Amino acid sequence: MKRSLDNGMLLAVAVVAASCNASTGGELIEFDAFAAGPEAASGGEAYVFESPRGYTVTLRRAVLHVGAVYLNKSVQTSVGADTSCYLAGQYVAEVPGGFDVDVLEPTLQPFPVQGFATTDRAKTAEIWLSGGDIDAETDPTVVASVEGEATKDGETFPFDATITISESRVIPSTDPSQPGVNPICKQRIVTPIAVDLKPTDGGSLVVRIDPAGWFSNVEFDELELVDDDPPLYRFRDDSLDQPSRNLFNGLRANSGVYDVRWDE
Amino acid sequence: MLDQPARVLTRVEPEYPAARLADEHHSEAPLPELDVEVEVTLDEAGRVTSARVLASGGKDFDEEALKAVRTFTFAPAIKDGKPVASRFHVPLHFEPPPHAEPQFVDVVGKRAPPSRGAGDYRIDVGKLDIVPRRNAADLLKLAPSVFLLKDGGGEGHAERVYLRGFDAREGQDIEFSVGGVPINEAGNFHGNGYADLNFIIPELVTRLRVLEGPFDPRQGNFAVAGSAEYELGLESRGLTAKATYGSFNTARLLLLWGPAEQSTRTFAGAEIFRSDGFGDNRESWRARAMGQYEGRLGSDASFRLSTSAYATQYESAGLLRVDDVESKKVDFFGTSDPNQGGSSARFHVSADIEAKSGETFYGVQAFGIYRSSSLRENFTGFLLDEQLARQQPHGQRGDLIDLSTTAGTFGLRGYGRHGFELLGMKHEVELGMFARGDMVSALQQRVGAQTHDPYLTEADLDSKLADLGLYADATIRFAPWLIVRGGLRADLFAFDVEDNCAVKDVSAPTPDDPPGDASCLSQQRFGEHREPNQHSTTATIKPLPRVSAQLGPFGGFSFSLAYGQGVRSVDPSYVTQSATTPFASIDSGEAGVSFARSFDVASLAVQSVFFVTHVDRDQIFSETEGRATLAEGTTRTGWSGSARSKGDFFDVSASVTLVQSRFDDTGLLVPYVPDVVVRHDGALFHDLFPLAGSPVTGKLGIGASFVGARALPYGQRSDTIFLLDAAASLGWRFLELEIAGTNLANLEYRQAEFNYVSDFDPNTPATLVPARHFAAGQPIGIFGSISGTLGGER
Repeated sequence: MKRSLDNGMLLAVAVVAASCNASTGGELIEFDAFAAGPEAASGGEAYVFESPRGYTVTLRRAVLHVGAVYLNKSVQTSVGADTSCYLAGQYVAEVPGGFDVDVLEPTLQPFPVQGFATTDRAKTAEIWLSGGDIDAETDPTVVASVEGEATKDGETFPFDATITISESRVIPSTDPSQPGVNPICKQRIVTPIAVDLKPTDGGSLVVRIDPAGWFSNVEFDELELVDDDPPLYRFRDDSLDQPSRNLFNGLRANSGVYDVRWDE
Repeated sequence: MLDQPARVLTRVEPEYPAARLADEHHSEAPLPELDVEVEVTLDEAGRVTSARVLASGGKDFDEEALKAVRTFTFAPAIKDGKPVASRFHVPLHFEPPPHAEPQFVDVVGKRAPPSRGAGDYRIDVGKLDIVPRRNAADLLKLAPSVFLLKDGGGEGHAERVYLRGFDAREGQDIEFSVGGVPINEAGNFHGNGYADLNFIIPELVTRLRVLEGPFDPRQGNFAVAGSAEYELGLESRGLTAKATYGSFNTARLLLLWGPAEQSTRTFAGAEIFRSDGFGDNRESWRARAMGQYEGRLGSDASFRLSTSAYATQYESAGLLRVDDVESKKVDFFGTSDPNQGGSSARFHVSADIEAKSGETFYGVQAFGIYRSSSLRENFTGFLLDEQLARQQPHGQRGDLIDLSTTAGTFGLRGYGRHGFELLGMKHEVELGMFARGDMVSALQQRVGAQTHDPYLTEADLDSKLADLGLYADATIRFAPWLIVRGGLRADLFAFDVEDNCAVKDVSAPTPDDPPGDASCLSQQRFGEHREPNQHSTTATIKPLPRVSAQLGPFGGFSFSLAYGQGVRSVDPSYVTQSATTPFASIDSGEAGVSFARSFDVASLAVQSVFFVTHVDRDQIFSETEGRATLAEGTTRTGWSGSARSKGDFFDVSASVTLVQSRFDDTGLLVPYVPDVVVRHDGALFHDLFPLAGSPVTGKLGIGASFVGARALPYGQRSDTIFLLDAAASLGWRFLELEIAGTNLANLEYRQAEFNYVSDFDPNTPATLVPARHFAAGQPIGIFGSISGTLGGER
């Protein structure tokens, strides 16, 4: 019996010792998150770039409201037929709160909330451009506010824009059998942004936003002139003309605008 | 050289040790036949001057042998014509009295099934009834390795049970019965095998058999981690009324009645209860009643008629996000969704008879159960309401699950056991059957947080389930110290499932006849019509071999080995027409040693068991589906040790269990299972002082539990749990006053903890990464009771 008890104690110790080292796998971590403008920008100065449409754009103000950032394990190849606001795969990181990012400022600006992550590798990032409820029919949050001028062929177009994503962005369904095919949440999510990163304890998430990409397909000469003296062209807060539609599409471009990295 | 050796003049055969006979019912180990040899020293007159044991049979047998030889009378040895002192060797044979082995129906009372080894725990509640217990499920803690908690489901929700490294959830992995009436609910959509023990009045539980493994052919469906059988009775005779009031505005009135002229198994009990609960949204109401009559049919048969009725309505706080509590969004004892709660009702009737005919014993039992329950739970907040293209645009309407289940169950069980003698040893063979039919309707919907209306039907099932089990069980004695028990059980599970909501989406809806927002659709691609239902039937037989070997006792020690296979049927939602019914199969083995001995002042029983269990298709709780779902294979290894000692003024029980549960494919830990469970129950009782000619008796009970950090998903560990409960009482004549306290250290603890994704605030950016959730444990509670017994003995 003594031997039996001794064996029992040994097994007990072994079980406890093994338990201390055993795990269900993975890890949950907290991290800091930052957003910033492109490294090429100079803080406090205008950001000048050439657009693919031949415009020299000078941005004097560019603020983007980033509502939240998410990382997902899955690689999504097509989102056209998907009506879900969330990706099918597992979300591995989130920064569930946002702020107005000065995208002309290259220095890192911290998110007001802590990020949370598992230590799984992420393949897709999402930027949520909303003030809160991604499904809300009305969201008065200004997601983008820009001011500057564009010059082409000696003609200058001073412009500004105040962009929200609300009723004016709803895409009506043309199929009566599919009234919910275009949920408003899809307009508020920039996805899929390709990434390949693995959150680690002690690291931080950095989102760099290059506003040049917002204007890639904008024809400034089609902007509506809203003031003559001094002249001011203004983007509409809907998608009814080419410049406004393409600025909105530029805000939601999943490549060329948002660079999501993990800093160790 | 002696002229004549000493010789026995009168001989009295030794008594079989009384403690052994008394313990037989507890241990179920066979009573041994054995010999003790004693050397006596005689004086010249033939008187015994001393005696010592030459060949021991164990302390209690030795004592009886010595006691016996001292009553012998001897003729002294003669040498040279004169009586002289001498030594004399006396062999003494011990044989169990005929009534003790095998153990059959004697006067009244059901025959206990034979033991399957060290992990087959027969637990008398006895004096440990003074230890505070919230319900009958709490009594399971008297068995080693059992740990219970509420996962936020509310007072009327079944307890979450852990046994030997199994997260048995709400009983799905343990076969529960009370007086032979099954408790597990086959086909319950919340969890197949859901076992709500709240209908049992704990004061009416006299004994438990907890068999920690599938080692007995009598065990059927759901005996994955093992089985627990509640035996009801009432020791006190007369009419007892007990009123309790205490913390959280808790009030309880209990009436118990035991007719003086009847056995303890004839009784009636009724209870009403209400409480505000220990935090937000925890109010509950309950009423329950149980009764049983036991009688005799002739000299060789007994029968029992029993019934129970139970109804409850309750609110539940559900689970909270830790970050919400830390940010003061919600209080530790608050709720994230006040619409959670439920209701439940259960009624059953049962009749059984056991009879002896020659060397054969028969038993048969019939039972009927009606059960209904409603359960509203929200694990994920506002996360799962996916926008489908065919639906009108909507946001997250809320994930509150509203599950209603109605079930009717009827069944039979019976056995015939024949004892015979072969090669000088007694053996037994038993043939038995179990039959059960269930008619279950389950409807699970999602309810909008704002409207409180159902907006989505997730399941609408009407199921007819059958389980027919046949078994053969043999007890073969190869030697007085070696018994092999075992046999084969085979269960046929038949499913007939009507899925009334088989079509939930249309990949290509027609514009002319849009399907709209309805959940259960009557069209397929491009409007092609089909009814929304789907009918499926299937059946499968599962053979289940089980065997155990017991060696001993040797000086109080017995050794055992056991192996068995178990089965858990799947819930009806997994049934596909004519496809082989998926089952979870369990292989379990254990090796144990037990020690039992009665001393002058106390008895002691100790068990040590090593165990390993493999499940090929385990179930893991899915918070998104709100129920247990199939997962990969898992293996558990561990050890449990337990001890119980009883004396004239004390009764103490303690146990320790160490276990690891791992997934077979990854080797990772199975989440939610505690590695370490420690439990202590203790009671002191004694007459304190006389008052008006009658003694005032005092009782003190202490229960303590420690649960180690449980593995959680994503490499996390839960907090440990330590709970200290105590109660004290004074009794005088027919009156008793009691004060009980739970969680006396008033530790703020999380009883259930989970890591998963939820989003309880739809107005802020979604939370989509797994986060810690918990159900708050009860803070300190103080409860006072007064009870009186009239017309009988307290």
